[in-house]
Amino acid sequence: MLRFLNIVAILALVGSAIYAYSIKYQTSYRAEQIAKTKLEIKAEHDAIAVLRAEWSFMTRPERVQQLADRYLDLQPLTADNIVTARALPERAPHVDAIAAKLDMLGLGVASTPAADPGAAPTTPKTPTKTSVATQTRGTGHQR
Amino acid sequence: MTMDAGQIHDAPPSDGKGTARARASAAERLRGFARAAFSTNLTSSTSRMRLVALLFLGIYGVIGGRLVFLGFRPDPANLRRAAAEAVAAARPDLLDRNGEILATDVKTMSVFAEPRRLIDKDEATELLTAALPQVDARELRERLASKKGFVWVKREVTPHQRDEVFHLGLPGVGLIAENKRVYPNGPIGAHVLGFANVDNVGIAGIEKFVDGQGLADLHGAGFSMTPEELSPITLSIDIKATHALRDELAKGVEHFKAQAGASAIMDVNTGEVIAMASLPDYDPNNPPDIHDVNIINRLNVGVYEMGSTFKALTIAMALDSGKVNLNSRFDAHSALTSGRFRIHDYHPQNRALTVPEVFTYSSNVGVARMALGQGVEKHRAFLRKMGQLTRMRTELPESAAPIVPQNWGELNTMTIAFGHGLAVAPLQAMMAVAALMNGGYLITPTFIKRSEEEARKDAPLVIKPETSEAMRYLMRLNAEKGTAKKVDIAGYFVGGKTGTAEKVIHGHYSKNRLFTTFMAVAPADKPKYLFMTLMDEPQGLPETGGYATAAYNAGSVTGKIIERVGPLLGLPPRFETPKEPFPILARLGYGFVNTPATGGGGH
Repeated sequence: MLRFLNIVAILALVGSAIYAYSIKYQTSYRAEQIAKTKLEIKAEHDAIAVLRAEWSFMTRPERVQQLADRYLDLQPLTADNIVTARALPERAPHVDAIAAKLDMLGLGVASTPAADPGAAPTTPKTPTKTSVATQTRGTGHQR
Repeated sequence: MTMDAGQIHDAPPSDGKGTARARASAAERLRGFARAAFSTNLTSSTSRMRLVALLFLGIYGVIGGRLVFLGFRPDPANLRRAAAEAVAAARPDLLDRNGEILATDVKTMSVFAEPRRLIDKDEATELLTAALPQVDARELRERLASKKGFVWVKREVTPHQRDEVFHLGLPGVGLIAENKRVYPNGPIGAHVLGFANVDNVGIAGIEKFVDGQGLADLHGAGFSMTPEELSPITLSIDIKATHALRDELAKGVEHFKAQAGASAIMDVNTGEVIAMASLPDYDPNNPPDIHDVNIINRLNVGVYEMGSTFKALTIAMALDSGKVNLNSRFDAHSALTSGRFRIHDYHPQNRALTVPEVFTYSSNVGVARMALGQGVEKHRAFLRKMGQLTRMRTELPESAAPIVPQNWGELNTMTIAFGHGLAVAPLQAMMAVAALMNGGYLITPTFIKRSEEEARKDAPLVIKPETSEAMRYLMRLNAEKGTAKKVDIAGYFVGGKTGTAEKVIHGHYSKNRLFTTFMAVAPADKPKYLFMTLMDEPQGLPETGGYATAAYNAGSVTGKIIERVGPLLGLPPRFETPKEPFPILARLGYGFVNTPATGGGGH
């Protein structure tokens, strides 16, 4: 009985020693990791500081002006370049040129294929005519 | 041992007969001691073990005590400490009012040596000078021969040089990271920022001011701050506006062949200096000789006779006293004579002039009479109240005291009324003019961002609000039809005043060496910004008809600055002139101030 207890005690001792050592090694490993990460953070901070300095060096007004003078056709802003919202002309009523043409030709809106409404005002005048013509033909076929 | 000794003593027979016997007993006693000492007799073991234990206890006690002693002893002055003291400290970033970086720290490597640990100093010198060609060999040899624990070999080496030194592998030579101050914008705003030296100690400008706030003391006491712990300092400067200002000023100085020029924009309601430039200037990344008088900041280190700009102060004094109103007339029929001096007008009208006419024709005679009407004492007291007779202190460590006449007589009052005979720093004059514009608050200029409430908190009210409005009206009138027409930029409702002073050369006022200034306020109805430009000895050009007076040079530069900087500073241009720009004056019965003036041709 006593011997068994002794063996158990020895095993427990060895076990706890192993556990203690593993904990110790893990701790020092973690501590190393922390120190390493801290160094990395510091290096990153330094790099960020350099990049910030470089950014403000590259975007300094002096350089931007030189580049703008060389590559852009911008002019200094004067008071005549600014207008108030009230000075803008009233928005013209939306005119669907195609629909008007169709109506003029006596063809109903319902019978024409649905056109993109947003594209209508930007379409230049001459193509409008041709497209109206083709559409008229098309609808004629359908009939 | 004592017990053993007792036994030994008991062992020999104690007859005490004759010397031979005594000798024999001595030998016997020795033998007995040896036997007792080396005996393995169990009866005496306990005490011996106790003795040995005591001995070991003593030894361990000594070792333990020594360890505790060593642990508590402060570190000797070792390398790390020496290095920490020597390396350049971190400084807070300086930002402009919109958060753009004006000055920041970057890490660089520096090479140091520990002369005590160097094995072969000659070899080290040779190898190091090969890797770092800029280092003087003889000087380095001397430094390495010293008995110090830490010497610099070269500060701020390039990455390539750093690698070379590292690969030399010399014992006693090492690399250490340091903070280096960089100014990404170069000379833009240089006079505000100042600069820091290689040890990152502020030498001039805001950099020196920052050190004065306790940073240097902390570093000296060994508490070096990491960059993360230092909160950045936000200045009042707008870097984009400063660039535009400096660019226009540089063009103007070159165009008019002036010796020097300076310009500034100030927020009249907060006293913040939004932009400032003084040419010639320097690049803070290559610190200049601080004692070079040519690169001083002419706005707060130079003192100048401000010329007609001072007339604004004189007129404000007269209006504020209540004795004079906008309709008062002053005799300007002829030159004013005082002793052997004659004061005459640049644009003589030879008639009685109203107050607005005195201002727009810039009549020396008119303002001289106005100042005389107040008297010498009142004039001096008013200028003192406006901060023109004492040294003005801002955050910038550099400042200059005004040059005040020692015996201030009537003649002095007459000349100072139109800006001759009293030399002040231009920024100081700006402070006074800003007070005339902003409703009467004398706000000391600042270079640190602040709000209107903070500025108003301890700003004395020096003139009445209605006087301030009258001055704004006069400034506006002067831009509409007076000498300041060059700055009447459409949409900004600008008001302005020219100032042309003759420079004193060999004790006499020189007719052709001029110092010109220009003050402009925008917008004149709700003042926001005060612009000032000054030029030292601008030349007349064919397109200005050979004139070198302020309107042609400083005035046209100010106009360009307002036009360019206005959109940057968020001044919205307006198309219809304000309906009633000067309501207080209208209520006081000067209805005419609200109708825009036109024409006025030849002045």
